[in-house]
Amino acid sequence: MGFKEYVGKRTLQGVLTIALAVTLNFVLFRIMPGDPTRAVSGDPRVDTATRLALIAKFGLDRPLLEQFALYVYNLFRGELGISFVQIGRPVIDIILGRKMVNTLILMGSSMFIAFSLGIGIGVYAAWKRGTKTDVSFIVISLATYSMPVFWFGMILLLILSYYYNLVPIAGTVTPGLVHPNFFEYAKDYLHHLIAPMITLSVSFFGGYFLFMRDTILDVFTEDYMLTARAKGLSNRKIMFKHAMKNALLPMVSLMGVHVTFLISGATMTETVFSWDGLGRLIYDSVRNNDYPVLQGIFLIMAVFVVVASILADITNAYLDPRIREAVE
Amino acid sequence: MTLGPRATDSQLRERFSTSARRLKGFWALYRMSRIGLLGLFLISAFIIMALAAPWIAPYDPRALVGFPFQPPSGEHLLGTDQIGRDIFSMLIWGSRISLLVGLLASATGVVIGTTVGLISGYFRGLPDSILMRITDLLITLPNLPLMLILGALIGRSMWNIILVIGVTGWTSTAKMVRSQTLSIKERPYVEAARSIGAKDSQILIRHIMPNVLPLVFANAIVGIVDAILAESGLSFLGLGDPTKPSWGLLLRYSNEAGALATGRWWFIIPPGICIMLVAIGFAFSSYSLDQILNPRLRKRR
Repeated sequence: MGFKEYVGKRTLQGVLTIALAVTLNFVLFRIMPGDPTRAVSGDPRVDTATRLALIAKFGLDRPLLEQFALYVYNLFRGELGISFVQIGRPVIDIILGRKMVNTLILMGSSMFIAFSLGIGIGVYAAWKRGTKTDVSFIVISLATYSMPVFWFGMILLLILSYYYNLVPIAGTVTPGLVHPNFFEYAKDYLHHLIAPMITLSVSFFGGYFLFMRDTILDVFTEDYMLTARAKGLSNRKIMFKHAMKNALLPMVSLMGVHVTFLISGATMTETVFSWDGLGRLIYDSVRNNDYPVLQGIFLIMAVFVVVASILADITNAYLDPRIREAVE
Repeated sequence: MTLGPRATDSQLRERFSTSARRLKGFWALYRMSRIGLLGLFLISAFIIMALAAPWIAPYDPRALVGFPFQPPSGEHLLGTDQIGRDIFSMLIWGSRISLLVGLLASATGVVIGTTVGLISGYFRGLPDSILMRITDLLITLPNLPLMLILGALIGRSMWNIILVIGVTGWTSTAKMVRSQTLSIKERPYVEAARSIGAKDSQILIRHIMPNVLPLVFANAIVGIVDAILAESGLSFLGLGDPTKPSWGLLLRYSNEAGALATGRWWFIIPPGICIMLVAIGFAFSSYSLDQILNPRLRKRR
């Protein structure tokens, strides 16, 4: 199979998955007990005029199939309904704004740290396999995997914020503070970012580390490693030029799959640190029964994950021709 | 060798001794792993704690037994919470809920996953395509937000938490069982069973399932770790059953009481340590099991 065909096939799969997610999103919020229109308009916080407008727009008095068609139609126009809590504010404006940027910054930086550490230490541990260093890293990573993310965040806050007063206890920026220039703003922002970033990085380090160590050990059994050794290459060269390069490929596709877990972790972390992002928004919306917002975030996340995993797979297929051929 | 109702005594004895020998061999391998033994020890300790809760815990975990916000003392080992309940007693009783939810939710996921995997791999065709698309979708969707939304929609109770974790956590089992089934299905003895007229259900249950179960078992243990962590998270976020104190719920109380801002470490650290130790117990056991059951890993060493 050629590269172009692979990309085409993978994209088609992705579109199908997103279509399924849209359907699930529609069904999920309509099978719940009580009034079926509740999810879109039937909230006492919404006034009658707005409710009637919503019912007309989403065809809530029509048969289910027609509702679905209208739902998809509205979706394509970026119309996701209005929030029950911030009445009148379209869901799409709430989601695609500062909250999304905040979440992306938190997730991106944590992923980068966890990924780099996981690779570096994973290679090192595999090289020293069976030694005390190796075993202690395995134990540490299994321990961080077994730790509730939110609890680690609380412990971090207890130490860094309560006992040593090094980081602020909550929020994205200091409330009420007017920043004289962008530089000051960035400083304040980064200061708030430190603790949640460490929390999320630590919770993801274990998975990356174990996976990298395992992959490297697999690579060690390959014939070309023996060849490299027989050629008399230095350990350093064998490690970085031969082992690491080949082990990085599976890591790239793992990263694509991992975005889902990253979102789950971010939801927890943002809640503990009151980080003003989409994860925190999910929590608030669940508490306030703000169904339109929930539906909206859910959809955005599904699209985001699908796109991320497709990009990872395509990058991988581009780098490693064997993968394209393996796909039927 | 089939073991129908006509199986003789000697056949039964032989069968028993082979499985006993296999178990012994397995234990000999497992015993060599220090990580695995530590895991087993941790799990047993918490199971004992859960079973003996009524005798270990000094107070009723739901009763108001002292003044609110007391620091640790001889009377209240870990102090009291915001309305005067004994934190240590809640911690002991919490092991019951956390373990129960972990085990049952993982079991639910494993049953769904095994069923889906067997049907998908054995029958192929349309059921396979449909089930695998659903599996892919569930793998794609972020787990925690999905659980939160489901939990919020169906209501807050312990059984709903088990259900929510179970129905979102079966995908890896299904994928693994499916690929195993695909390969076992082609083996000669399955062919032989089919040629003497065994029904599909018979082949699936008697010939394919026993070969898949060891790996399913290893998967189920990882599932317990995930389920215990998910339960603590969901309870912390407020989807837990307020009448059943779990460790996650305890952490929620501590957060609500502002334990962080006031430095009440005894309200924050112990529940998390418990969650972590139980999860480590299962994670260590599954790590060692994987080293034994996964031939690829065994050969490499």
